[in-house]
Amino acid sequence: MEVLNHLLLGLSVALTPINLAYLFAGVMIGMIVGIIPGFGPAAGIAILLPITFGMEPTGAVIMLAAIYYGSMYGGTITSILLNTPGESSTVASTFDGYPLAQQGRAGPALVMQAVASFVGGTIGVILITVLAPLFSQVTRSFGPPEFFLLVMMGLATLIVMIGGNWRYGLISALIGFALGTVGVDLETGQTRFTFKSAEMIGGIDFIPIAIGVFGLGELYYALYVGLHLKGSGGIVRYDKEQRFWPTARDFIETKFSLVRGSLLGFAIGVIPGAGATVASLMAYSVEKSASPTPEKFGKGAMAGLVGPEAANNAASSGAMVPLLTLGIPGSASTAVLLAAFVLWGLTPGPLLMAQKPEFAWGLIASMYLGNVALLALNIFAIPLFVLMIKLPYRILAPAVILVCTIGTYSVSGSIVETWLMFAAGLVGFFMRLYGFSPAALVLALVLGPLAEQSLRQTLTISGGSFGIFVDRPMSLSILIFTAAIVGGGLLMRRAGRGFKPQ
Amino acid sequence: MISKILMFPAFVAALVLGSVPASAQDKYPSKRLDWTISFGPGGGNDIMSRNLISILEKYKLYPGTIVAENRPGGSGAKGWGYVFSQTGNPYHISSTSGSFITTPLQANTPWQPASFTPVALLASDDMLLLVSKDSKIRTLQEFIAAAKAKPPAIGGIGAVNIDFIVPKLLSEKAGFTFNYVSFNKQGELITALLSNALDAGMSNPGEVMGLLQSGDMRALAFSGKSTPKALGNVPTFAELGYEMGVSLPRGLVLPPGVPKEAQQWWIETVKKVVQTPEWKEYIDKQLLTENVLYGEDFRTFLNKTQGAFADILRKSGAIK
Repeated sequence: MEVLNHLLLGLSVALTPINLAYLFAGVMIGMIVGIIPGFGPAAGIAILLPITFGMEPTGAVIMLAAIYYGSMYGGTITSILLNTPGESSTVASTFDGYPLAQQGRAGPALVMQAVASFVGGTIGVILITVLAPLFSQVTRSFGPPEFFLLVMMGLATLIVMIGGNWRYGLISALIGFALGTVGVDLETGQTRFTFKSAEMIGGIDFIPIAIGVFGLGELYYALYVGLHLKGSGGIVRYDKEQRFWPTARDFIETKFSLVRGSLLGFAIGVIPGAGATVASLMAYSVEKSASPTPEKFGKGAMAGLVGPEAANNAASSGAMVPLLTLGIPGSASTAVLLAAFVLWGLTPGPLLMAQKPEFAWGLIASMYLGNVALLALNIFAIPLFVLMIKLPYRILAPAVILVCTIGTYSVSGSIVETWLMFAAGLVGFFMRLYGFSPAALVLALVLGPLAEQSLRQTLTISGGSFGIFVDRPMSLSILIFTAAIVGGGLLMRRAGRGFKPQ
Repeated sequence: MISKILMFPAFVAALVLGSVPASAQDKYPSKRLDWTISFGPGGGNDIMSRNLISILEKYKLYPGTIVAENRPGGSGAKGWGYVFSQTGNPYHISSTSGSFITTPLQANTPWQPASFTPVALLASDDMLLLVSKDSKIRTLQEFIAAAKAKPPAIGGIGAVNIDFIVPKLLSEKAGFTFNYVSFNKQGELITALLSNALDAGMSNPGEVMGLLQSGDMRALAFSGKSTPKALGNVPTFAELGYEMGVSLPRGLVLPPGVPKEAQQWWIETVKKVVQTPEWKEYIDKQLLTENVLYGEDFRTFLNKTQGAFADILRKSGAIK
């Protein structure tokens, strides 16, 4: 019952009027920050950081954390309506979210993503409340070998995603891997393909490429097919008959996807590194494998949207575990939060929750309230977004270009990255025209460097021996687990073939 | 306050005549100060600049307005490039950090650290050598003995960074070899160390304070001149006989070629800043090493540090 006491203490802190006000400010800002492509939670938190200097730490952390998980709700809206993921963790939401919107089901897709985000976020907070110390043990056992295996599992989902047209998919992924090699070679420190430009030292960022190949590519394609000449309507449609609410079938079909996505998302979110991105991808491939109708995936399957959405929100809760229990940042956003802890005079680390219970538990309790507020806010805001897609395309298109440009520029104030975004837009247009896979490109760009780095770290540690993967208990467990899934899948497929007449 | 009142007639005159009278122009400083932060909000460089500005404002040390602007990009190259382009203009200033040394080694920047007019080195970022609580090693001597028997895997952030330079210098002085495992992010480095994948790791004290307090990690030695109070009795490398002499400079620079009076004015002002309780509190909270050098001494320090970095990195093949 100690947990209940902690939670009550937390609620008593979170429910004070001033902290509630901070919470609502945070979720609103988070939503907005999430909606603008490129302008992610890390930037949102960093910009608001200076105004928290004079604030009481608990109120400040409640607000900044709300920006973080609030942006996870907003981030998917552009994935669904504009095929433009604002963050790497919402790439998977474009696979089925955008086809749903194209079929006139933008309303149900938006509502279901809000529900999935809510379920994912809430299951995540429940798991933090009950099992944070246990999951901090998971974080503690993740070194480079385990991280490499996890990234490989994420990369394996590329195969699921590429599907039928594997030659084009492979070429798209290889372009992504190639872009991922730009920057400083982590191990030797030598610069690769930077042409001695300081702007390239940090490598090619995900944001300009994703916004370019997805958002601008789609937009150029729409102009190419002459959509701006039509009176009204965009690429995505909105059906009056189908209305705004999801059908009972949407809920029944996806109830397990919600739970699977949430649990998977949380478990992967506690691992520092590519948490939410890997989690949403794995959730997508899990949903596709578990579905009785995998052929519908990529063409507007609700489970293909709900699974990854639940997963990326649960992962953002999961990322709070290493932050609160060990003082370790798992992502760019939690790194800024960690810097804020220090600024406010706290010492993040294993003793934080015991030394400052009102701070830690106030934050956790506020996350329950924040998720409820975000669900309500989303449901109310969705009609506004649906209005947006009814705008004539000749008005919507320039506005989207404007927002994408500002969003990309604001990430690091780099004009080079802005040009990169426009170039990626042209590439994205031709990819769309000839059936290449923009998703394979951006995911290879995100995961390729992580795989390369963690493998090289592993082999540096082991002196070149692959034995390290079976010597360490955690990595051995991951290997056995993966083998069981792959083996089980193959067996099931074989058994299925035996029974079903072809 | 008085200076502001005195400035007012000059300001009106400037508006009326369209130019500042020569007498007012001679008296530095009399105009708005443009403060460049070469990184985004929330980072170490940003935090130091904002602390300095709030001290300057609180004690009314700068008579005009100070406008701080984040100009991030290219590992600091953009912000410092901007300040460099303001050659001769004493109304620009910028704070430095580790990338001030390393970025020009990796990219073709038009500037070098020594190109700027040095004001002062205020503090330095120094490194701890850490082991996880499961390690059998308790002291630096034990670490070196174990390293001689079997090359350890030591983790740090980046290869062109002080995280690599400090263990490299130690290994050369103590006579052992090691495998350096480079990480991109602090979170991944710390979990690798906690998971016992690494034999040891390098980190700023500020980032691991909580894990030291809880006993999940042990600090063997500190690379700075003196150990911050909060770390207790962790020895410095120098005390154990391994003088390091490298650290990342947190200081202030003006654009190249500014008048001597402006440089002198800033040196005198910084001398007042470092005496304030707010500054002491900042140093303590961030676990920085107080390390103050003024003017040409700061330039010499920058040259020496960059030289040491370049030598080691050229040998390791990281740079040409």
